[in-house]
Amino acid sequence: MGNVELLNKLSFSIVGSRRCSEYGEKVTQRFTKEIISLGLVTVSGMANGVDTIVHETSIKNNGETIAVLPSGFDNIYPKENKELYKKIIENKGLAISEYEPHEIADSKKFIRRNRLVSALGECLIVTEAAYRSGTSITARFAKEQGKKVFCVPSGIDNRCGIGTNKMIKSGHSLLTGISDIFDEVESEKLEAYKEKYNKELIMNMNIKNIPKECKKVYDVIWDRPTSIDYIFNKTTETIADISYKLTILELEGFIKSIPGGFYEKKYL
Amino acid sequence: MLSITQSMAMNGLNGYLVSVQVDVANGLPYFEIVGLPDTIVKESKERVRIGIKNSGYDFFSKRIIINLAPANTKKLGSIFDLAIAIGILTSLGIIKECELNNYVLVGELSLDGKIRKIENALAICIEMNRKGIKNIILPKDNEKEVSIVKGINIYAVTTLREVVEHFNEEKLIDKSSVNSYSDYFKQEEYEIDFSDVYGQEKVKRVLEIAAAGSHNVLMIGSPGSGKTMLAERFQTILPPLSFKEYLEVAKIYNLYSDNLNSEIKRPFRTPHYTITERALIGGGDIPKPGEVTLANNGILFLDEFAEYKAHTLDVLRTPIEDKKITISRVNSKVEFPANFILIAAMNPCPCGYYGSTVRECTCSENSRRRYLHKISGPLLDRFDLIIYVNLLPYKKLNTYNMKKSSKNIRERVIAVRDIQNKRYEKLNINNNSELSNSLIREFCKLDEKSKVLLEKFYMNKNITTRRYNKILKVSRTIADLDSEGNIKYKHIAEALQYSEKGVRL
Repeated sequence: MGNVELLNKLSFSIVGSRRCSEYGEKVTQRFTKEIISLGLVTVSGMANGVDTIVHETSIKNNGETIAVLPSGFDNIYPKENKELYKKIIENKGLAISEYEPHEIADSKKFIRRNRLVSALGECLIVTEAAYRSGTSITARFAKEQGKKVFCVPSGIDNRCGIGTNKMIKSGHSLLTGISDIFDEVESEKLEAYKEKYNKELIMNMNIKNIPKECKKVYDVIWDRPTSIDYIFNKTTETIADISYKLTILELEGFIKSIPGGFYEKKYL
Repeated sequence: MLSITQSMAMNGLNGYLVSVQVDVANGLPYFEIVGLPDTIVKESKERVRIGIKNSGYDFFSKRIIINLAPANTKKLGSIFDLAIAIGILTSLGIIKECELNNYVLVGELSLDGKIRKIENALAICIEMNRKGIKNIILPKDNEKEVSIVKGINIYAVTTLREVVEHFNEEKLIDKSSVNSYSDYFKQEEYEIDFSDVYGQEKVKRVLEIAAAGSHNVLMIGSPGSGKTMLAERFQTILPPLSFKEYLEVAKIYNLYSDNLNSEIKRPFRTPHYTITERALIGGGDIPKPGEVTLANNGILFLDEFAEYKAHTLDVLRTPIEDKKITISRVNSKVEFPANFILIAAMNPCPCGYYGSTVRECTCSENSRRRYLHKISGPLLDRFDLIIYVNLLPYKKLNTYNMKKSSKNIRERVIAVRDIQNKRYEKLNINNNSELSNSLIREFCKLDEKSKVLLEKFYMNKNITTRRYNKILKVSRTIADLDSEGNIKYKHIAEALQYSEKGVRL
């Protein structure tokens, strides 16, 4: 259903746990964005959590994305993602399924779905996986299909990231930046993208200009959740001033607010 | 012989005159009260008969009919005793011809001829004042509570005999003196203070804005982060009740409070989340006000907001918007005021730790979503200010300085309320939160820069127009706190910081 052309394009698969941490969400968004900005297609399974983030981020950044469904088109699973499914198709995306429209999802189909997800991508990226996760099955398929698996490492105290760390231990590649993929995957098809990536990297070095008045507030925010009380204690400004500066920083895209009343620097 | 005396009764919050018509005729001894009396009124027969006898007057065996007009409303309680007794004594000729009609008589008679305290004296006096009725005779025990009402002559009595002598001009009762409001009403003093709360500067700021502009607040935070503590302290930063507000509150409490002797202060109502719809908005055969009315001119604090029944919460939508509630029953329709500041507190998810840095959340995304969906969108839209309250890490607990005391905040709040009162002097509103759409356009003018900012936010976050207006109202209050005549860029930006963000999934 949707833009079948996408199957001929070069794509990367990105998968992860249904339940992901703030960190998992962040890195998923980051890598999806980078891949999209290179003009590559993303592939994922439209499950909750990481998969949903991949599709949503792709669409938001005007990218192309392929969703592999574990059910027929009339029984979208999970139900909450019906809207997402429509959005994917409306935004030049593609949804594919090996089942009759009326068939419903079950655990066997999830596994078969994972096989397709890994098969469609040039390589597989796992952004976050818990101790026991369907993601490890996807990784196994990828290996059997002769594709490289890249895992994003997690802090050792992150329960949602035990699986990814374990996969790295067992021999899959470590992913800290898209350049890792270009270094490890040797394929002629990727050459053009590699060049483009290097060029953009240089451009990104010029960080956007932060409004002068907001600089002080911006400087005390970390790249992990920072509470407003912390900012208040580290600067000499009033709560009123801090609040309005945070709004400006957020709307201009320098920081991001996180549920719970926290802020963090955005990856630029 | 027929004689007519006046008394007063309450229907909801409105008082109405009851004319007590007494006819005494010769014939077989007979004593009947008509005009929809309840049991207490019916029993006044005995109290009146023996009360008169024990005051030293003869109670002749005659044919006595008493009508309480208007005859179609139900009469409750013992307050008509005095009017009935005086009516009978006039008909019997014991009280000479006089201008009985100029007086409202209320009081319960005891068998020894003494006059006992009644329940709704204050409400009745306030209503008399409103209707322009001048004289009232009431029990001495009620004198103190009503002494605050100006513009009416209050005669307080202890026995039936005093009343008779007053009307016969044998011994006149002195008028009660009027206490001025400032003497009567002491500044509220609280044992709790904002400086008790460590950190949480943002929440304190938000509560200050809420107090200044009378805005509704929703606090979302982990268990133990201090939501309840902060909400309780919210009352300490509100200005003292004005005379007008005091009378409104006093009237409601005089009529409906279980605790008659408690001192009247700015209401702070905290109903438990098992509350029924009726208890919340009012109801009953004879309509009684609910929590929203008892919180009139004060605060309605709903803790554990998501635990209330969804339906119960949704009935709040109209009183929040209209500042009043109309209760219709088969034979009566009553309108109660419901002008309160709503403070609600809830957890972000069933386990309570979503977004916390201290403990990990164990809820699935689904259960979290279901939890938040208990608060309907339209209801969420009615909160002007929505904020997260974080748990503080332990090491920070002792390092925070405590410079914001309730007294300081309260002074600022009072100053801002004065600004608003001046601005809206000619209009029928008191504060920024009551601005209607057309008034928003008049009082919340924006410069170009602010418009661009707001437009960006509007597009980005897909907010409703009601939310948009709320943002403008809150910015108006923030500008007032800054003593600025016009709303500036930074006021809008700050207001955006406290609006719905990340609450909906």
